[in-house]
Amino acid sequence: MIEFANVTKEYDNQTALKDISFSVGKGEMVFITGPSGSGKTTLLKLIYVADKPDTGNISVAGWDTDQIKESSIPFLRRNIGIVFQDFRLLANKNAFENVAIALRIRGVGEKEVKTRVYESLKTVNLRHKSDSFPKSLSGGEQQRVVIARAIVSEPTVLLADEPSGNLDPDTAEGIMRTFKDINAKGTTVLIATHNRELYRNSGRRVIKLNSGILIGEEIG
Amino acid sequence: MSLPYPFKIGVQSLFREKWINLLSILTIAAGLLIIGISVFVLYNLDIATKKLPEKFSMMLYFNDGIQKEKIDHIIVSLKRNSAVNSVRYIPREEALRELKATLKNSNYIFEGLEENPLPDSLEIRLEKEAVGPEAVKKLADEALKLKGVSDVDYGEKFLSTIHYLKVGMKAVGIVLIAILSTGIIFVCYSTIKILFYRKTEEIETFKLLGATRWFIRAPFLIEGAIIGASGGFLSLIGIFTFYYIVVMRLSVAIPIFKTVLFPADLFLPLPVMGMFLGITGAFIALGRLRY
Repeated sequence: MIEFANVTKEYDNQTALKDISFSVGKGEMVFITGPSGSGKTTLLKLIYVADKPDTGNISVAGWDTDQIKESSIPFLRRNIGIVFQDFRLLANKNAFENVAIALRIRGVGEKEVKTRVYESLKTVNLRHKSDSFPKSLSGGEQQRVVIARAIVSEPTVLLADEPSGNLDPDTAEGIMRTFKDINAKGTTVLIATHNRELYRNSGRRVIKLNSGILIGEEIG
Repeated sequence: MSLPYPFKIGVQSLFREKWINLLSILTIAAGLLIIGISVFVLYNLDIATKKLPEKFSMMLYFNDGIQKEKIDHIIVSLKRNSAVNSVRYIPREEALRELKATLKNSNYIFEGLEENPLPDSLEIRLEKEAVGPEAVKKLADEALKLKGVSDVDYGEKFLSTIHYLKVGMKAVGIVLIAILSTGIIFVCYSTIKILFYRKTEEIETFKLLGATRWFIRAPFLIEGAIIGASGGFLSLIGIFTFYYIVVMRLSVAIPIFKTVLFPADLFLPLPVMGMFLGITGAFIALGRLRY
């Protein structure tokens, strides 16, 4: 589903990722871990083509990100649900609208949008906050709206960048349960986190990064 | 049935950024109003000059002693010319009679006149489309070459003055319309560019979520279209107001204004023109969206 082959990425002569190679199979749930600045976010960005590698190849859901035409990028991204570290919620839209946008972009009809958005908000226990605007939501609630937006389109790949960053341990556990449920339905899940608690005893693959170098892999 | 999503977003943005949009609409309305008034003036000028050919005639004078058969032959050959509408033969006696009738209050001029000084002549009326300086001059030159013709008179200066005035006014009108249309496109361009910059973050998020270029562009194009069409609609109200208040009132005091025509059909496309200019401005402002 996701394949990195000798990928290197630099920003202003600073190595963000160096000669990274790994693959994630369809339906797998994998953790990318490492300290801040180890290249986790860069790695995710390369998957959803917010950036392109300087060298090496990346393949995502059958698309070669190096060969992809600019006009095809939206269609690649429609296969991916993203939980952004900085949320990227639209301040002038309520929780419902923020989640709905992922479906409207895909041209889903309004009736179906309504059903699926409420279902998705229910999954993250925010059905009662559907009319609330991001400003009036706590950090954890905002995080859950972002997750609802990422899963509402039932993507083949789900990327989560530090999904527990703003959550208390109980909520974080709830979110992890949501990810596991989504993964159980066949979605490939890739979680970038520095929080060991998330992958400890998970029985999932953990890819370790340090200063942009893949230093090893273990089972959590 | 609900509105398509891009349309909904475009309309929402129109109200959210109401002041900047209102300012743009008023600017566009002012520009289109000037265009409308220019068209109004040009139209009336065109109508006025189109009536001139009905009054225009060319006089062809013969040498003394020319035979009637020769004159008939010239009339036949002139009538064959497609630019000629009608030819009237005026014998020298009739010409004198007409002159005397015209100058009946100054009949002393003809006292002591033993001989008719006027020549036989032809009054040639031309087809409407042939009354242009070049066509008339060509015909006059051809007529002058005919045997027995002594002179041709057709008010050369008057004709070319009217012609060049008409051409000049049309050119000024076209340049004015072009400049104002460019100005309107620029107003729409600036408005949409500002709105686009204000939504940069939102647009980035849309892109990351898988929005196509058209999904992102459509609300802006719709907004540009509505701004332009609203400006056009306002200018339409403005031009009708201009006609009813200014022209109609003036015609009471100045009778010549009664002949002024108001081509309402010509102004009805103003909102469509505004919409087209609005979309053009918005399209240029959006440029090429990069991923």
